[in-house]
Parts: sequence; structure tokens; C-alpha cells
Amino acid sequence: MKLSTKPAEAGAASTGFVAVRKFLHAGQPSYPRTLDLEAEPAEELRITLQPGALVGPALRRVLARYGQRGGVGRLCGGTARRLHYHRIETTEDPDRPYDYGPPHVLEGVISFVTGAITVGQNADGKILLHCHSGFINGDGALHGGHLLLDTVEVGDDPLIIRLCLFSRGAFVVNSDEETHFSLLHPTPME
Amino acid sequence: MTSLSNDTTDTTDTTDELDNHIHVEQGRLGKLVMARLKPNQDMTESVEALCRQHGMKTAIVRGAIGSLIDAHLQYATPTGLREMEVNGPGVEILNVFGEIGFSGEASHHHPLQGVVADTDGKIFAGRFVRGANLSFITIEITLQEWIAVEQAEAVPA
Repeated sequence: MKLSTKPAEAGAASTGFVAVRKFLHAGQPSYPRTLDLEAEPAEELRITLQPGALVGPALRRVLARYGQRGGVGRLCGGTARRLHYHRIETTEDPDRPYDYGPPHVLEGVISFVTGAITVGQNADGKILLHCHSGFINGDGALHGGHLLLDTVEVGDDPLIIRLCLFSRGAFVVNSDEETHFSLLHPTPME
Repeated sequence: MTSLSNDTTDTTDTTDELDNHIHVEQGRLGKLVMARLKPNQDMTESVEALCRQHGMKTAIVRGAIGSLIDAHLQYATPTGLREMEVNGPGVEILNVFGEIGFSGEASHHHPLQGVVADTDGKIFAGRFVRGANLSFITIEITLQEWIAVEQAEAVPA
């Protein structure tokens, strides 16, 4: 990790070159570069998970009541007793030189400070939860990364999750030829 | 836009002064646009393009997850704006907030802000600098239209 700070260019709408790196993946790029779809708002949910609940199974149980829906949401507060999260690391594989490393395990008292969820599904229609989150461990250290919701056990403070579910569209997993990852893509749904 | 008034405050002068600093826009949420940004696409510019493409004058970010090659975040200090560069590749987007608008006060050069984590799991936050936050592997993002109600409709007679 390299972190640097510098004065920003004067003025909100200043012009000029910005030093930005691009990355060429091993696979073939495809076009268009943005895939998008209009969907209809369906349900807004506020979900409270009580101490001891396992977040992944609990959310799947809730979502099963609403049929095949796409969705997005945010973690709005709460704690965990245990969780696993991943960070992106370098690999020896030239086809996929960056990938998630082994899980980082936190236990004890963990407070959530931010988090977002995409509710997706695999090709068979099974619910897939993609979550990135930031949290503080009992020593006050901040952590953040790709959170495995199936490993998250709710702590003493209930976990509040807000979800926005939609109809006519969902995020469905497909393999991506450019990055060689299986990724969520906007997909029309009846 | 309309101003708030509050009859329960103690002095008229204070109320008038306060009213000048408060603007309320009433409205409702409209259609949703869900998207995936492929590698090397700038998050802010892509979001604005999605709004234009789908005819949304104003939209809010309902959710965003993904990764950036590097993150460029801006923040204000007493001596002016500063920019922070968090290097990846593989800076994880933990959350994004913001509204995108093409008219009036909703317009902002860097309309999105949020929280990211670097490859050591350390957390940073700030405004995403336009043109400088490129998708690494993917960004899943969902926008929802904000439809302002006309003032005459919003204020009861």
C-alpha cells in the first residue's frame, strides 16, 4: 500500500491532467464498458438480526419470502462476535494476477462502521450476497474488505440492515472473459 | 424549493435568519438503474452517463460495491482542499453515497463520497475525484431517480 496526499487542484472545476493508472487484464475486453438495466422498485426492508444470528443464512431466509429479486442495501449499525473478510492480494497466476487472499478472521467485539450489500443470484436462482464492509475490532483497529456474511455472527448489539429490492431486474453471476472472475451482471427478470 | 417556518421559536429575528439557511425540496423516488462498470471506467463519469442515458435529472446512489485500481479522494482542510491517493490495485469500495444532478444546487464537480479499504485492510474516506477512480475488476452500482415535487404541490395551501 502506498498512501500519499497533496493539495488538490484549485477550484472545483479545474482542468488539467490527472495522473491515473489503468490496468490491462489478461482476457479480452468487451463492449459496452457499462452494462445497465432499468428496474422497478419493489420492497424497502429494515431487517434486525438479533445477537447470535448468522447473517448470511438469516438474510437468505428473509429474502426467500420475496421470490427472485435483485437488491442492494447497507449495514446501518450493530456489532459482530466473529467474522471473516478478504483483501485483494497478488498471485503467481498470470491469467489472474490479483485475487482474494486467505480470510482474515476477527473475533471478540467488532463494531460495524459502514457496509454495502448487493443481493445477487447464481444461474440457478440461488441467492448470492456480495458485501463489502468496514469495522472496528475490540482494540480500536479499523479493518475493511470483502466480508463473508456467512461467517458473521451478530454480537451483543443487534445488526440493522436496510435493503432495497427491485423487480424486472437482478444481479446474476456470469463468468467475465476480461478479468476471469465470476461477476454479478444486471440481468432482466420477468 | 421552499423555506421552513417554525412558530414555536422564541424570536422572529432568529427565525427569519434561520429560514434563510434552510431549503427543503420535497419529492419522491422513481425508477432504479442497476449497472456493472467494467475495468478502467471512472465511477463518477459513468454514474453521470447512466443518469443522462436513462433520462434522470437527479439521482441518488442506493448501493455500490466493487474495487478500484487506485482511489483518489478529496477532503477539505483549513488551508484548502487536499487529495489523498490510496494505491492498489484492488482498493475495495466499502460504500458510496451521493446525489447526481444536472441543474441547480444538486450539481457538484465531485458528487460522490464514500469509504474504501486498501490492500492492507486500512480504511480511508473522502470525495471521489472525478476521472481518477477507475474500476479495477468490477463495480456494481444502483441509482434511483429523485423526482422533485413542484413547489405549489409541495406546500399545502
